[in-house]
Amino acid sequence: QVSVINTVDTSHEDMIHDAQMDYYGTRLATCSSDRSVKIFDVRNGGQILVADLRGHEGPVWQVAWAHPMYGNILASCSYDRKVIIWKEENGTWEKTYEYTGHDSSVNSVCWAPHDYGLILACGSSDGAISLLSYTGDGQWEVKKISNAHTIGCNAVSWAPAVVPGSLIEQPSGQKPNYIKRFASGGCDNLVKIWKEEDGQWKEEQKLEAHSDWVRDVAWAPSIGLPTSTIASCSQDGRVFIWTCDDASGNSWSPKLLHKFNDVVWHVSWSITANILAVSGGDNKVTLWKESVDGLWACISDVNKGQGGVSAVTEGQQNEQ
Amino acid sequence: MDTVPSQVVPGADPSARQLCFAWGPAEVLVCETLFGRAGGSRSRCLSQSPSPSRFWGEGRAGAAARALTGSVAGTGEGALSSSRVFVVRRDQDIYIQTLRKLFNESHGIFMGLQRSEEELAGKSRKAQLVQVSKNYRSVIRACMEDMHQAAVSTRDPALQGQYSTQVSILSAMELIWNLCEILFVEAAAAGPLLLRLLDWVRLHVCDVDSMVREVLSSESPSKHKLFWNVVDVFVLQGRMDEARHLLSKEASANPTSMNMYKILDDLMKKMPVPSLGNTQTLTELELKWQHWHEECQRYLQDGTFASNPHMESICKILLGDEDAILEKKELMTTWYHFLVTRLLYSHPTVKPLELRFYAQSSMDLFLGGESSPEPLDMILMAAFEFEMHQVIKECSIVLSNWWFVAHLTDLLDHCKLLQSHNLYFGSNMREFLLLEYASGLFSHHSLWQLGVDYFDYCPEYGRVYLELHIERIPLSTEQKALKVLRICEQRQMHEQVRSICKIMAMKALRNNRLGSALSWSIRAKDAAFATLISDRFLKDYCERGCFSDLDLIDNLGPSMLLSDRLTFLGKYREFHRLYGEKRFPEAARLLLTLMTAHIAPCSFWMTLLTDALPLLEQKEVIFSAEQTYELMRCLEDLTAGNPDKQKFQDDDVETTKVEMLRLALARNLARVIVKEGTVEGS
Repeated sequence: QVSVINTVDTSHEDMIHDAQMDYYGTRLATCSSDRSVKIFDVRNGGQILVADLRGHEGPVWQVAWAHPMYGNILASCSYDRKVIIWKEENGTWEKTYEYTGHDSSVNSVCWAPHDYGLILACGSSDGAISLLSYTGDGQWEVKKISNAHTIGCNAVSWAPAVVPGSLIEQPSGQKPNYIKRFASGGCDNLVKIWKEEDGQWKEEQKLEAHSDWVRDVAWAPSIGLPTSTIASCSQDGRVFIWTCDDASGNSWSPKLLHKFNDVVWHVSWSITANILAVSGGDNKVTLWKESVDGLWACISDVNKGQGGVSAVTEGQQNEQ
Repeated sequence: MDTVPSQVVPGADPSARQLCFAWGPAEVLVCETLFGRAGGSRSRCLSQSPSPSRFWGEGRAGAAARALTGSVAGTGEGALSSSRVFVVRRDQDIYIQTLRKLFNESHGIFMGLQRSEEELAGKSRKAQLVQVSKNYRSVIRACMEDMHQAAVSTRDPALQGQYSTQVSILSAMELIWNLCEILFVEAAAAGPLLLRLLDWVRLHVCDVDSMVREVLSSESPSKHKLFWNVVDVFVLQGRMDEARHLLSKEASANPTSMNMYKILDDLMKKMPVPSLGNTQTLTELELKWQHWHEECQRYLQDGTFASNPHMESICKILLGDEDAILEKKELMTTWYHFLVTRLLYSHPTVKPLELRFYAQSSMDLFLGGESSPEPLDMILMAAFEFEMHQVIKECSIVLSNWWFVAHLTDLLDHCKLLQSHNLYFGSNMREFLLLEYASGLFSHHSLWQLGVDYFDYCPEYGRVYLELHIERIPLSTEQKALKVLRICEQRQMHEQVRSICKIMAMKALRNNRLGSALSWSIRAKDAAFATLISDRFLKDYCERGCFSDLDLIDNLGPSMLLSDRLTFLGKYREFHRLYGEKRFPEAARLLLTLMTAHIAPCSFWMTLLTDALPLLEQKEVIFSAEQTYELMRCLEDLTAGNPDKQKFQDDDVETTKVEMLRLALARNLARVIVKEGTVEGS
C-alpha cells in the first residue's frame, strides 16, 4: 500500500522532466522545459522553495545531487548544450561552473561515487561523453570521450565503488586503487561499459541486445555480492537486466525482464537495489523485484480500490 | 501473465501524461511528464500523442511487480502540464504514534530472542519460545488497548475511524498469532490441542460478551429473554460449569422440568474432556467419550427432553449434531468457532494433522455459499492446514507493514520450523522479511535506531543494508551525527565513519566553524581537508593576528601529523606559546626549524621572519651565530626566489620589512659574535 505523503506544487511553467531527492530526502530538485531548476525543502511534509535557478537557455532534462561531503552541489543538463553545476554558499545557491563543450543537447548527468572525488559524467546528443572532475579551488578538469555512441548518448550511470582485492582499511591519506567504471546507453542501440586505465577512458564492453535506441541505463548499487548488475531500457520496449559474475568484468549476460508494448523511458534502482522501477509504455510505472534465489518472494500488497490519501498522523519533528 | 495488484496515486492525472519517477532514500517521487525529447530526429517533444489513460500493472513469473497508477482525479485540461511532484511512500504505519509502543517493545522481545540460550533443548526451549510468543501477543494487546482508548477519547470522526480500523487490524493479528502459537510454536498434541483451541475461541469471539453480561447481571436471569442464548453460548464454548450454573437457576424457577434438568446436568458434568496433565491416555479418553456419547444418544432417543426444545437442542449439540450446532450460527459468529465446537462434541481427541479436513468443511458449512471467505479466513485456513509459508505469504499481502510477518517468521525460524519446508526460502525468508521491516524503520527520525539492531541479526545482507541505509540518515545535529558515528564505529564500518566525518566537516566549514571542521576532518583522517582548514586558520591569523580555537590546536597531539599544513599550524601555535611563556631560546629554535625543515610553506616565511624580529630585538641575545646565518639565508632565499620580485620591491611595506629584518639580523650577528667570542669570566 502506498500513500502520497506530500504533493509539491513546483509552479513550473512547463513540463517537468526530472525530480530528484537529495541524499537524505530533505530536499527536492526539479527541472523543467521552462528552463529553470528549482530546489525545495521538503522536510516534515512541507514544501518551501529554496531556490529558483536560472541559467539554462533551453529545457532542462536532468538534475543530479552530489554527495553531501562535498557540500550542497547540484548538476543540471539541458537542451542548450550546457551542463551547469550549482553550489550553495552561505545559504544561497549560485552557479559555480558552466561547461559548454558539447555540440548538442546534453541528455544525462550522473555523479560518480564519492570515493572517486567529485566527478560528473555527461552524455550528449553529439555522441560524446564528458567527465568533469573537480581539482580544487574552483577548477574543473575535463576529459572527453568523443563518439562514444553514434548519433547520440542518452544515459550515463556509474558503477558503485568497489576496491579490488580485500576491503581492509586503507592507511590514512592513502587513496585505494579504485577501478572506475560507468555504463552508457545510446542511439546506436548499445549499452557500453567504460573503464579508466592510466588516466584514459576506454571502452571495456559493448552490450548488444536492444534493437532500438537505448533510453536509460542504471547500474545497481552494490550489496556486497561479487556480481554486478545493470538495467537497460529501450525504444524497442524491452528492459534487460545484465549481470556479470566475475570481478574482472568480462562476461555480461542479459536477461529480459519484460517486453512492454511501448517505449520504455526510465529505469531506476532503489538504494538497496532490491527494487527496480521501470517507467514503461502505456503510461505506467512498474516496480520489479527478484528474490534472493531468483524466485518470486511475495511482497506485493493488494489494493482494495482505496484511493484515499492516508494522512500522516504525526508530525515528523526532528527528535534526537 | 498474472495480473498484479496496482496502487493508485491519487491526484495524478493520467489522461495526457506519462509518469516520471525517481527514488528518494525512503520514498518515490512521481511527477507527470512527457518523455521523448532528446536524441535527434526521432525525438518527439510536446506534440506526441499520448497513450490512453488507463494505467495497469503487470506481473511475470520470476519477478513481482506492482504498478503505480494515476487516478482520474484531475481535470486533464489542455496543454498545460501539471506542475506537481508527488512524494509517495509505502508503509506509513511507522508514523502512527500509538503503534510506537508496538515497535519499541517488540524490538526488545526480538533482541531477547536472538540472544537467548540455544543450549536449552527440548521442553525447556519450547517453553521459552512459547513465552516469547506470549510476550509478543501481550504487546499487541496492550497496543490494542491504547488504540481503543484513543478511539474513544477523540472527537474527530476521521481519526476515530482510523483508530478503530487499527484496532481491528491489531485484533486480527493477535488472533492469527495466537493460532500460530498453538499450532506451530507450542505444537500442541492431540488432547491439549482442543483445550488450547477452546481457549483461543473464548478469547477472541467477543461479540456475545455484552449479551452475557446483560443476562447475568439481571435480577432474574432465567426470566431474561436471552437466557437460553447465553446458556447456548456457554455450551458452544465448552464452558460447562457456567452453563450448569445458569441451568440450575432455571431449574429452581421451574420445578416441573427438574427431572430433565438433573439428567442434562449430569451429562454435562460427566462429559470427558482432554486434560493437561498425564492422567489419562488418549485411548482411555476416547473410550470414555464413546461411552458417554452413547449415553447421551439414549436419552435423546428416549425423548427425555422432548418437552423442552431448548434442552433438547443442547443435548443434540452435546451429541455433535451439525445441524443443531449450525442453528446457533449467530451465537458463534465465525466458522472457526463452529469448527472448534464441532471438534469438541464430535472428535475431542483430534490430531493436529487432522485439522485441515475439519477446517475446510467447517468453513464451507458455515458460510454455506452465502458469503465468500475473506483474507483473514484464508490465513486461518492456511494455518489449520499447517501451510506456514502460505500464512506468511497471505499476511504479507494483506497487512500494510512488515512488522507482523517479520517477527512471526523470525520466531518460527527459531522454532526450527522453516528449514524443513520449501528449501528455496528456509532461513532466507526470515532474513528477507527482517530486511524489509528494518529498511522501513530507517525512514523514521528515531525508529531507525531499532532498525540497526535488526540488521545486525541478518547474517547475509544485514551489514550491507545497514551501510547503505545509515549513510542516508539526515545529520541534522551534532548529537545525531555522533550517535550515528558510534553505531558505525562499533561495527567497524570505517567507510561510513569517514564519510560522515567528512560531511560534518564540510558543514562546519560552510558555517565558518573552523575548530569543529578541523576536529571532524581529523576524525575522518582526511588530510586534504585538514590542509584546507589549516590554511584557513593561518589566513585568519594573518588577517587578525590571533588564533581562534586555541584549545583545539594546542591539543592536537599526534593527529597533527595528518597533514603537513596541520603540523605547521600546530607547531606554529606552539611557537607562540613558547614566546608567551618567555621561553625564548626554545621558541627561537622552533621558529628556525619550521623554516629549515620546510614544515612551513614558503608563503608563510615572511610572516615567520617577521615573528623573529622581536626575538632579535631582545636585550639578551637569543639566536646563535649559526642560527643567525641560517635566518639570513632564509631571508635571501625568500627575496631572491620570489617570482614577483618587481612587485615585491615596489611594495613599500614589504621592502621596509625586509630592510628591518636585514638590519636586525646584522645587529644580532654582531652581538652574538662578540658574545661567543668572549671567554667566560674575562
